[in-house]
Amino acid sequence: MKVEVQKKVRIIQKAMNSIRKMDKTVHTISFSRLADEMEMPLNELTDIFLDVEDMFLNEQKRVTRKITELVEEGLKDCHTPNDAKELLERSTLKLIELLPDYSDLVYSAVFYLPKCIAERDRTKKYYRQSLKKIIKKGWPGKIESVLDRQTDLVLLSLYGYMEYLVRANLRERKEIQKDFINMINLHLQDRLFF
Amino acid sequence: MIKLSPNLKDKVVNKAVNSLRKNKSIDQLSFAAIAKELDVGIDELTTFYNTTEDIFLDAQKKDWESLHRYWDKQIKKAKTPGDFKRAFEIFFERFVETLSKDADLRFELSCYLPECIKYRDKNRIKVKEKFSKLIKRGWPGKDMKVIQRQSELVTVLFYGFIDHIVHIPKEERSKILSDFRNMLNLHLQDRKFF
Repeated sequence: MKVEVQKKVRIIQKAMNSIRKMDKTVHTISFSRLADEMEMPLNELTDIFLDVEDMFLNEQKRVTRKITELVEEGLKDCHTPNDAKELLERSTLKLIELLPDYSDLVYSAVFYLPKCIAERDRTKKYYRQSLKKIIKKGWPGKIESVLDRQTDLVLLSLYGYMEYLVRANLRERKEIQKDFINMINLHLQDRLFF
Repeated sequence: MIKLSPNLKDKVVNKAVNSLRKNKSIDQLSFAAIAKELDVGIDELTTFYNTTEDIFLDAQKKDWESLHRYWDKQIKKAKTPGDFKRAFEIFFERFVETLSKDADLRFELSCYLPECIKYRDKNRIKVKEKFSKLIKRGWPGKDMKVIQRQSELVTVLFYGFIDHIVHIPKEERSKILSDFRNMLNLHLQDRKFF
């Protein structure tokens, strides 16, 4: 990892620890107050982030970027239905690995901070589009309307899964991942869908 | 102690939500503005609410308590597995039917405001316990471990469902509700669970 990136990671981790200790609503925390709490000069923070919102947005984008890379690469290499099924499974596993222990803070902030809300909306559209491609390749033979309905169900399930992950420890995350992916598989095996 | 009438409390919530929808900022919410618009004294509001955030917490509690009361009645009446399955399904129907027109904003605040998050976490446990009871009685023959895992998974999916349904137009909700219930049913029919 580059030195700059390492520094950024360290600052985010420290900032999140401080935010948790402050037990304040995120939008009420000023950057200068955060710097005080972190016992570091304000300019070290402002060199990297514009404000608190920017810091959360950055963290939110980091996770999306990593998942996007995995999905795009995976879709390129998807030649058989099994490849697509594995890609879906790998993505759910990747989320476990990507979400740090402060992701509950990020998760709640993205429901209020305007730039984070916009990013959330954008990401949701991207996930829907990608899931549809994966389902189409992994469980072929579905008609378009079934594909759309099942994509919506998998998408909403995925958001429930992420909401759970941000609050769970590693063991709980791994346990739910297995059940989650099995349940999605069972659901998608239904070609005609009710 | 002055007690706000339920009617006035609803008006306070509506004013707060409208203001938030317009200004996009909790900071700009004030008791003074709400009191002025409703033509009541500030003291009437501050006797009941300590902060403007309390308005949303109170609304969140009211919605869930009403839903639980209704759900408990259905569970109490249930005698056969069919009745318990029905009580399970009715919960989702009732949840969707009773969503307010501002369900999106109320949901987002319940994920963002610290006190609302605490209530949400507590309520989640309560919801999971009821799912567990209904799965045990509605789909008998499962061992305890399977019931626990399936209750957890249904809860995970339900929270994803909430996030999805509050963000789509009212007329699209019944369609996804029906698909969602079918997906859960298929999952719960699996007695041994993989």
